[in-house]
Amino acid sequence: MQFFDLHVHSAFSEGESTVEQLASMAKELGYTGICFSEYYKSEEQVKKLYREIEKVKQKVRIEVFLGFEARSPKELQILREKRRRFDVLLVRGSDLRMNREAVETPEVDILTHPEFGRQDSGLNHVMMKLAKKNNVAIELNFRNILLESKNSRSKLLAKIQNNIKLAKKFKTPIILCSGAVSHFEMRDPQIMISMASQLGLDIKEAKDSLSKIPEKILKQAVERKNDSWILPGVKVVK
Amino acid sequence: MKQEDKLKILLPSLRGKERYIAFRVLSDERIIYSDLEAAIWNVLLDFYGEHGVSKLSMWLIKNLYDEQNQIGVIRCNNKAVAAVIAGLGLIARLGDTRVVFKILSVSGTIRGLK
Repeated sequence: MQFFDLHVHSAFSEGESTVEQLASMAKELGYTGICFSEYYKSEEQVKKLYREIEKVKQKVRIEVFLGFEARSPKELQILREKRRRFDVLLVRGSDLRMNREAVETPEVDILTHPEFGRQDSGLNHVMMKLAKKNNVAIELNFRNILLESKNSRSKLLAKIQNNIKLAKKFKTPIILCSGAVSHFEMRDPQIMISMASQLGLDIKEAKDSLSKIPEKILKQAVERKNDSWILPGVKVVK
Repeated sequence: MKQEDKLKILLPSLRGKERYIAFRVLSDERIIYSDLEAAIWNVLLDFYGEHGVSKLSMWLIKNLYDEQNQIGVIRCNNKAVAAVIAGLGLIARLGDTRVVFKILSVSGTIRGLK
């Protein structure tokens, strides 16, 4: 089974580790591919990051993808316009307005930690239905669980379990990501699957969240880069 | 131990089914057994509580810990494998050393791990 981690930050944005350190750790842990989900800066810096990724791809021999995480509606608008130039579009959740905008936007692939820093779980049945309709995966972020402790962790786990319950009811895709900002925050695929199974997913669903769902997102990314692609499900046939 | 102090061994059908989880600790510095044992017990007790851990039948096997390669073996019951593996993922540091756990294999016998 192929596993992918689609939410990792390198030193390009808020991360502590280099692209090479993260890619090497992903390879060591048994991932097939990794996606660097960075914050958008200037075109020039993005080109520099592309060059670095290409180098690491050759050296570490692992599939490497590039994604961007929008932190505000303005950033989301900029990234939507440049959508075909990168693989994965993530939206940083927690703010209710951003959560809503993410699930309403078909270009978005992943809504990251919608429950982060909130009293509630950040999503309701209306937003779950929209996420399903627009094929936006809801992220289960391992780093948030790792960094919290005692009562704050138990509250976070309760919110995640609530989101999982709703996602299962409305068949919204759930994706497992490490959300790592350091290569020491990455986790073995079996650990991620086991944690998801403790939070309410069954083993098959947990495996799909780390394998089939990211694979589907990356397949769409490849199709999107093709010249004949127009919209999801619409392409020029010669 | 005197012969009369020893319990008669249970029949195989009455014994709990066990699983062995082999793992490797990835870190920059060498990890000693006592630190590892303390960290595993602490994290599992924090996460599942005393009652929860009692259901795992968890044991870190001392004589199977390879300090050179940092490979260890945990024994638990067959229904608690996911819970133990999930718990291992919550260990971020052993003392001052940052660590990552890599699960090598899960088997019903120690021989099967190799």
